[in-house]
Amino acid sequence: MDRRRFLVTPLLLPGFARSAASDSPSAGAVVYAEVEPGRKLVFPRDHGAHPDFRTEWWYVTGALDEPADSGFQLTFFRSRPGIAEELRSPIAARQIVFAHAALTLPGVGLRHAERAARAGLGSGLSSEDCDVWLGPWRLRRLDSPAGEFLRLQMNARDFAFDLTLAATRPLLLQGRDGYSRKDAAGDLASHYVSWPQLRVSGRLLYDGKGREASGKAWFDHEWSTRILGSGAVGWDWIGINLADGGALMAFRLRSASGATLHAHAAWRDAAGRLRQFDGPEVVFTPLRNWQSARSGASYPVEIGIRIGELGVRTVPIVDDQELSVNRPARVVYWEGLVRVEGSLSGRGYLELTGYAGRVPLAAG
Amino acid sequence: MRRLAWWLIAAQFRTRRTATLLSLLAIALGVALGYAIHLINDAALADFARAMNTVQGDPDVVLAASDSAGSVPLGVLDELARDPAVEVVAAVIDTRVRVDGTATPLRLLGIDAFSAAAVMPRLLPRPADDSPAGGILGGRVYASPALLEQLGLRAGDALTLRRGDRHWPTVVGGELPGTGAGDRLLVADIAWVQAHFGPNGAVSEGRIRLTPETDPARWQADHRPRLPVGLLLRAADDEGRRVANLSRAYRVNLNVLALVALLTGAFLVFATQLTAVAQRSTQFALLGVLGLAPRMRLLQVLLEALAIGLPGALLGLGIGYALALAFTQILGGDLGGGFFSTSSPLLVPRAAPALGFLGLGCAASLGGALYPAWLNRRQPLAQALKTGFAQNPGAHGHRFWRLPLLFALLVPAAFGLTRLPAISGLPLAGYAAIAVVLIVGVAAAPWLTRTVFGLLSRRSLSPPLQVAVQNVAQAPLMAQVAASGLIVSFALTASMVIMVASFRSAVDQWLDHVLPAPLYLRSKGTPLPQALLDAVDRADAPFARVERTAHGSLTLDAQRPALALIVREIDRRDPGTRLPFTGPLFDAAPGEVVIWISEAVEEIYRLRPGERRRLPLLGGDIEVFVGGVWRDYARQFGAVVIAREDYTRLGGDFAPTDLALWPRSGDEAEALRWLAPFTAAQGLEVSTNGELRALSLSIFDRSFAVTHALEAAAMLIGLFGLAVTLAASVWLRARELATLGALGFDRRMLGRAVMLEGLLIAAIGLLIGLACGLAIGAILTQVVNPQAFHWRMPLDVPVLALLAGVALTLAAALLASRHAARQATRLPLAQVLASAQ
Repeated sequence: MDRRRFLVTPLLLPGFARSAASDSPSAGAVVYAEVEPGRKLVFPRDHGAHPDFRTEWWYVTGALDEPADSGFQLTFFRSRPGIAEELRSPIAARQIVFAHAALTLPGVGLRHAERAARAGLGSGLSSEDCDVWLGPWRLRRLDSPAGEFLRLQMNARDFAFDLTLAATRPLLLQGRDGYSRKDAAGDLASHYVSWPQLRVSGRLLYDGKGREASGKAWFDHEWSTRILGSGAVGWDWIGINLADGGALMAFRLRSASGATLHAHAAWRDAAGRLRQFDGPEVVFTPLRNWQSARSGASYPVEIGIRIGELGVRTVPIVDDQELSVNRPARVVYWEGLVRVEGSLSGRGYLELTGYAGRVPLAAG
Repeated sequence: MRRLAWWLIAAQFRTRRTATLLSLLAIALGVALGYAIHLINDAALADFARAMNTVQGDPDVVLAASDSAGSVPLGVLDELARDPAVEVVAAVIDTRVRVDGTATPLRLLGIDAFSAAAVMPRLLPRPADDSPAGGILGGRVYASPALLEQLGLRAGDALTLRRGDRHWPTVVGGELPGTGAGDRLLVADIAWVQAHFGPNGAVSEGRIRLTPETDPARWQADHRPRLPVGLLLRAADDEGRRVANLSRAYRVNLNVLALVALLTGAFLVFATQLTAVAQRSTQFALLGVLGLAPRMRLLQVLLEALAIGLPGALLGLGIGYALALAFTQILGGDLGGGFFSTSSPLLVPRAAPALGFLGLGCAASLGGALYPAWLNRRQPLAQALKTGFAQNPGAHGHRFWRLPLLFALLVPAAFGLTRLPAISGLPLAGYAAIAVVLIVGVAAAPWLTRTVFGLLSRRSLSPPLQVAVQNVAQAPLMAQVAASGLIVSFALTASMVIMVASFRSAVDQWLDHVLPAPLYLRSKGTPLPQALLDAVDRADAPFARVERTAHGSLTLDAQRPALALIVREIDRRDPGTRLPFTGPLFDAAPGEVVIWISEAVEEIYRLRPGERRRLPLLGGDIEVFVGGVWRDYARQFGAVVIAREDYTRLGGDFAPTDLALWPRSGDEAEALRWLAPFTAAQGLEVSTNGELRALSLSIFDRSFAVTHALEAAAMLIGLFGLAVTLAASVWLRARELATLGALGFDRRMLGRAVMLEGLLIAAIGLLIGLACGLAIGAILTQVVNPQAFHWRMPLDVPVLALLAGVALTLAAALLASRHAARQATRLPLAQVLASAQ
């Protein structure tokens, strides 16, 4: 998904890797694998890393019933910046791993942590199955007699969690069998797999106390080489577990003027029927803005989305879910837990970027 | 009352200007030397710690290999990185390279910018890098500003790094803004360093930051048993301790020498105040009759001592600071000790140590005045008013029968102290033994004086000689005062001369043994190029014999500096031709790994020759046989020699750094010509046996330069003491001398008698001083040096130098006595006699 593209672009490693691929003494020009339509995704192999592509991420968001109205997020990014490709060392910085985690706690606040490492030195990726780790943080897929599940582990200075996410519904392959277009012409695309309606159990730790956790989570896994057009300044995205067991995903890319460059939505109903919506069928309309006192940015935290004949609106659980990450570059954006009301109802995550100044984008 | 005290002090300063000033200067000198040594060492340690902190950063725990051939496998690092108690593990490859075209090896640190940011931020390159291309991950190399300036390089310039036969052509990416002004460092990405210089699949160190709620000590204790063999965890604090341990013994030794100067200063105060009390006994008696309490008489003398000690100590602090400044500019921060290679460190005086040295100065002065003050309190007023000073108020000779008892206790005590082991690495018992020897010497002076001169006075002598001998025999206290300063100063000087001479001759003999080859080629830490190693083996090479040596290090105790590990081409069955063994050699079984340890290893790690021990060698836990103990004056923290065949059999990679060369038919010039192309291209250093010997001895001499200054200071103070006391005794005995004059002694005879008296006292002082000096020299060489530095050496008494010292001191004593004698000849005899009525 293009929304996280800015986090993984190699050109944002300031001072570390400035256009290293073309200029460094011994690195040859890197040739990335390309996303192609019609490629059949095979699982669990395709849950694992695809190191030939430029970028990849595993992204888990969840809305919890216990503690009530809380939310969590854990993301691993992989980037292949094209540096040190021909260096004969197992720790050459060919693959860089970044990880972000956040906890939304109404009445307590927003907790956030981030880490970075190169694969092979304090971090690792499996190409066989979903298993990515960075220090003690880890996301992996496991099988049990009761079915498949994901295990999420992270700890930071002021919060930690260890969660198990049991599958209750099948995978949702976005776009055409997991081939997701990012523009009308089809030049930009990704492989995109979602896994909605994961049942959460486990423990959270914050303020020095452990707490039971339960709720619903959403898993995204996406990899690509060219994903984003040069005109975009930011994007709006939702991933919602519907109360009836269905799932709703929608995104749009915005230009500097705020116009929609490309939009797409997918709705899977409780019976498992999938409908996809493109272009003019998906319309985003800001309804209420919240202004951050820290950055001064104004985010449309309540946003109306018309998807074909459906109409929904987002209602944030907490207005202030603005995040500021420093790795690999400093970016300020809004990402948080919302309720969805209207034709469909449910809970999930909304992401709004490019509102606190232009996101430093790299053209694919 | 206060006015009276000040008035007396002022009068004391006026009438005994020279003596008081000398006492003050002596105190100042002692304080100055001690304070200067403290300041310099403090600054050098702080500088060293700061430089190390730049490189090491601020980890809680460091994971490293226990020997330099080992390394930390990546798998172990990954395992630790997954531990929830670990916040981050920063991997580092620490190696030495040469920049093409320069001779000095440089430290190259391979860092991982992602983790280094948290642990070693000062090693990160400037983030806003303006160079048009590249970056640390792209294989650029960054240098500290000082190094860039030294090499004349700028960002974007190409350079080639070499280590042995491996080289890496790269580009300067920019500078390291976090490094200090004196740091000379290169930093590059860890993977690029690994790809070019190794180690394969491993790194040098993992620097671990734990989460705030983790107790580092407990975490280490939990993980240590699970660690693979050959790796060790050490607390980052250990680094600081290792640095402090590095120079502690040397520093303590220097400080004790400074205390010696202070001690002689205290003796001078003693002499001055005693004579002052004696000279003013009538004044004090008068004041006593007028109502001055005995307690006040005691306090007055102490107050006068403080009036000497306080300004003396203040002056000493000033001189000490100036000395420290001068020394750091000339000798560097280690006072020539060779421990730190930093340039001139910055001196930062702090309040507490300065106050401490101030207190020491005052304490020395007060200590010196204690006995005179006590005497002054005990003076019988009526008698003092009539006949002057009483030397033994209220005590009639029973001082002397106590002496044999004192000796009977003290002499065995001194022997006992020399048998005690070091206390936390310091030869404190040895120092105590030295103090006991000095006490015995000083206490023996009056007894010896009375005995010797009592015997002499029974013989028929010329009248002036007779008078002098009688005088000394009858007034042993004054003789003791005069001689005690000389005893202490000469004993310490003689002992230092004996120690340095013993050490130097031992080093000289040792050099014969450890430098058997005519030529030595050294690469200063980086492996020698294979082309050279191949060439010296070829038949046309002008060498009859070549022996290769590789250097590494080995850590047996994380809190101690690493041992030197020396891999040599040495005959396993006959190592005695190459190493100066101190005891018997033990033969190992054929398949066994043999090591030969230096004396320091034997003493620090309690390894015994002939025993088998497991050592962390080459990443394994290897059983080795200790084949013998050899003497090593070069590596205070221990060295282990292993034969090349054993080392390679254990899987070690023998990468020689040094060559010992025996040119064919003794033609060294031809050999040097043959080597020239290699040495010029590779920045190698070739030295002849003679050059290395001269270099070693000059380093030795430099490191003892400070002690010579201290010896000179001690001798000066001792002679001042003699002069002051003799002059005072003339004044005291004015009546007696006047009587002699009336009986027919002319002024020349009077002068001669006083001069003879001075010489006799000096002779007694020197005799006792020499005896004490021999004893202390033996303690220094046999107890203090082995315990502090693990350096053993045979006692070698430099008879000629000592005799010269005795002659010189006697000549100086003659001068001092002449000064007193001249006062005796200037006495207004008639007036003195008249006033005595």
